[in-house]
Amino acid sequence: MNQDPTTTRAIALRGAKNGAVNPDRSAGRSRGSTILVTSILALVALYFLVPIYWVVIAATKTSEDLFSTFGFWFAPTFALWDNLGNVLTYDDGIFVRWFFNSVLYAGVGAVLATYLAAAGGYALAKYRFRGNNAIFATVLGGVLVPGTATALPLFLLFSQMGLSNTYWSVLLPSLVSPFGLFLCRIYAQATVDDALLEAARLDGAGELRIFHGVGLRILTPALVTVFLFQLVGIWNNYFLPLIMLADSSLYPVPLGLSNWLGQTTRLPEFYGYTTGGVLLSIIPLAIAMIVLQRFWRGGLTEGSVK
Amino acid sequence: MKPLTRRQLLGVGIGAAATGLLAGCSTPGTASANALPVHPPAGGPVTLTYWAWLKGLQKVADIWNAKNPDIQVRTVPIPGGNAGGYQKMYSALAAGGGPDIAQIEMRSIPEFMLVNGLVDLNRYGAQDIASRFDPTLWSQVSFTGGVYGIPQDSGPMGSFYQTSVYDKIGAEPPKTWDEWAATGRELRKVDAYIDVFPLNDASVFCAYATQAGATWLKPGDDGWVIDMTDDATLKVARFFDGVIDDDVVSTSIAPYGAGWFAAASKGQIAGWTVASWGDAIIEGVAGGSGNWRVAPMPTWGADGYGSSYLGGSTAAVLASSKHPAEALKFTTWMCSDPEGIDALIEHCGIGWSPAADYIGAARRQPSEFFSGQNYNEEVFVPASRQQSPDWSWWPITQQSFNILADGFRRKASGGTLVDAVAAAEEQIMTAFRNKGLSIRRAGS
Amino acid sequence: MTDARTDASDTARLRSQTPSTSRSAVRTGAVARAPWILLAPFLALFVLTFILPILVAVGSSFMKVTRKGLFGEAGVTESFVWFDNYAQALGDGNFLASIGRVLLFGVVQVPVMIVVATVLALLLESASAKWPGAFRAMYFMPYGVPGVIATILWAFLYVPGLSPIVDVAGLVGIEIDFFAPETVLWSIANIITWTYVGYNMLIIIAQLKAIPGELYEAARTDGAGPWRIAFDIQLPLIAPALVLTTVFSIIGTLQLFAEPQLLATFSPAIDSQYTPNLSAFTTAFAYNDYNVAAAQAVLIALVAFLLSFAFLRLTNRKNK
Repeated sequence: MNQDPTTTRAIALRGAKNGAVNPDRSAGRSRGSTILVTSILALVALYFLVPIYWVVIAATKTSEDLFSTFGFWFAPTFALWDNLGNVLTYDDGIFVRWFFNSVLYAGVGAVLATYLAAAGGYALAKYRFRGNNAIFATVLGGVLVPGTATALPLFLLFSQMGLSNTYWSVLLPSLVSPFGLFLCRIYAQATVDDALLEAARLDGAGELRIFHGVGLRILTPALVTVFLFQLVGIWNNYFLPLIMLADSSLYPVPLGLSNWLGQTTRLPEFYGYTTGGVLLSIIPLAIAMIVLQRFWRGGLTEGSVK
Repeated sequence: MKPLTRRQLLGVGIGAAATGLLAGCSTPGTASANALPVHPPAGGPVTLTYWAWLKGLQKVADIWNAKNPDIQVRTVPIPGGNAGGYQKMYSALAAGGGPDIAQIEMRSIPEFMLVNGLVDLNRYGAQDIASRFDPTLWSQVSFTGGVYGIPQDSGPMGSFYQTSVYDKIGAEPPKTWDEWAATGRELRKVDAYIDVFPLNDASVFCAYATQAGATWLKPGDDGWVIDMTDDATLKVARFFDGVIDDDVVSTSIAPYGAGWFAAASKGQIAGWTVASWGDAIIEGVAGGSGNWRVAPMPTWGADGYGSSYLGGSTAAVLASSKHPAEALKFTTWMCSDPEGIDALIEHCGIGWSPAADYIGAARRQPSEFFSGQNYNEEVFVPASRQQSPDWSWWPITQQSFNILADGFRRKASGGTLVDAVAAAEEQIMTAFRNKGLSIRRAGS
Repeated sequence: MTDARTDASDTARLRSQTPSTSRSAVRTGAVARAPWILLAPFLALFVLTFILPILVAVGSSFMKVTRKGLFGEAGVTESFVWFDNYAQALGDGNFLASIGRVLLFGVVQVPVMIVVATVLALLLESASAKWPGAFRAMYFMPYGVPGVIATILWAFLYVPGLSPIVDVAGLVGIEIDFFAPETVLWSIANIITWTYVGYNMLIIIAQLKAIPGELYEAARTDGAGPWRIAFDIQLPLIAPALVLTTVFSIIGTLQLFAEPQLLATFSPAIDSQYTPNLSAFTTAFAYNDYNVAAAQAVLIALVAFLLSFAFLRLTNRKNK
């Protein structure tokens, strides 16, 4: 990979900063094209929002009403608080437990994964030692191997070690982000100045002090990207917890809700629980994404400042 | 020099760990718990975990818990066996953990035995309680001299039907399958299906074939014996080929799914031939109260049996349990003591009591939903006595049903059920051999 | 750069003049050890969670279990069987069909999704769009919905009786069955697209924003209209982002598991071996055939690796 996309991006962004900040890309901006483009965008937005709208409406209905009333409008009975109450109290509040588990796996996992990837990427970028390239190539191979292919043998491995069906069985694999290492190495190579490091060494700082004090600070934008990427990846991960966890009190939210969904064929009241649970899990995520997407964009442009 | 040495050490370390792990990494399920000494009775209070998908099971357990402080039972809800529940049990067993008791359908017991997942309860005195249970059910959990589960409920079959829809064509519930096909054709004229036939759930077809007198797999002296292309099975396959081709049954509506409930409440599905546990599901059809009755299942004429079984679970003790003796005490109470059976019926809505002579107090009453009919005594008690006693399950039931269902699915694109059955027989034999078991065709 | 070099040579001179040579030896030692200390936790976990499982999978895929008696009660042996398990996996029509199915899925869904993401990115970045920030947020929001939850959502939107979409279509006389054998694969494709278009679009937008304004000025003075600008300037310059998103989409497509597994209860058309991962999962945990499942997992990893590698080489060669 001679021209990795991220380096291209970094270089291009650098160029953008040097040139016009907000180039006028309008070529023939007219009233007509504005209306056309905006209406297309609005139609597309409808597609993205329809399921969210539906689940909000559905969460206000009782299980019987779900089947008998029109999906896109409310039913005569407004049962939102009942539904949500049921969701939160069912089985001694297991949904809350699941939420806590998800935060643990995704939050703690992503933070630690970012730290480890940053340390590794920084080491590979800023130090010359034998095996540097070999390690990098191996880790890069890890990016291309699907996580689901390693989950099954990992389960057998953890079973032998007595780790399966514990928090560690999901946390440990989540701490490894080959893509994160790759990103951090690229970034460290491009932005962390050797002179800065030498100066710090002259001041008598130890290598680890330099990494924590200087390196991490410069790497921050890349850290944010890696963190977000890993956060969503872990939050989304279904196969790994499905295989590793048998005890439902260890489940993250998606696995728990899929459990409830499986019960809907025998016990129709689970339709209500599942829609309520889906709504409760979407709200924080939707807010997070709307906030973070601005962050995401900003992070990349900030990172190019030299 | 230092990095080189360290790297070499790292490499050697990894190599040693990998070799060690690979060597110790045996395939799960190859060691048998029944070859080890019997677990001694627990010295003090014990809490048993019970994985099941019956709703309300904890209420049943609580009745026991109140009277037995030394043996407490905690139930954990899991998805239905074939919807992920068995996978959870297998992976728990592979990881060396798992509950003490698990709900395992009769047809899956041999599969668990294949991976040494179950405790032989005869080693803990199960033969003493054999007489309390229906002999047909007991024979389905007994293999190679051991007993591997306590029957918890069963599924004698009958036909539920909507009187309002049948009244539209002035028909009586059919007594034979041929009459059933004729009635079905009449019902199409009023835009109703007499029933649904699931192409992706081969257990229904299996139940019909059992009723016709088939025995697909039998344990022989030197291995398994398979016979899926006998007259009985092929007769059933040909019959349903014809009925599906004539659009007498619907193959696109999945039983007890959301679409099924909607169609049933609109009168587009006239009835359902299913096991007794279907009554709880039918009671979920909107506006159905007073509109349904129960009739005996249609028969295949002179050959075959009056009824068949669909489903039926056991409470089995998993190999990872450390308290099989205590687990047996609880399951004996739950499945054969009238108090336990009544609790199961009241809180869990189980299909049919496994006890030899007690069907449960609640089931002795006429039912308001089913138009005042005392359908349990009228239909299901006789049905439970007319089931094939020769049928036995085999170690790759789930895989076999999947193979059969795959073949059935081709019906939608021009295949036939007859071809599917013949092809499935071949593939099932291959699957047996791939598992390292020996199998031959009957008569060969 | 020259400054750094001067600094370095100054440092070297200073170092050689330092009285305590042991200090520099310690310094060199610390510098040599540092990368390993920094790398160690990552490497250890990487070995544990990537290298070892691959080794275990390969090792397990070469073993097989044979049983005597009806249930193996007369003896169970594990033996080394070379490639028998691979032959069995490749001879399983269902497994091969599942690979073919995800390849078909990938060939259709990935380009469609990338094209839609690109078009949306271009539209949003064109000055003709009002409220681009709001739209961008709305398009990105589904990315935060985990695949499982998105599948549950859309499943309810597909189920007749629950789904207002089916109802509305019925009003105008169109009978849609989202779960029919011909349509269920594309119903799944819809879920994936809904979830990931926004994310891919953001990556492309980031690359679009990097295009220097001078290029647009130059093009406009040449008299190029919006279409020419799109094709000749924007598309070539966002190519690296497109490559990245495509590679990740390929890897993602091969891992398709949650969507078919959850929809299986609703759609009779989805069998237990619908996608390669589902096949391996069923083989391991429903049929208890861990050895064959390991062979399947190795095969899936190989196919994913080769496809991604080939695609990257292809695009790199084009860049040259």
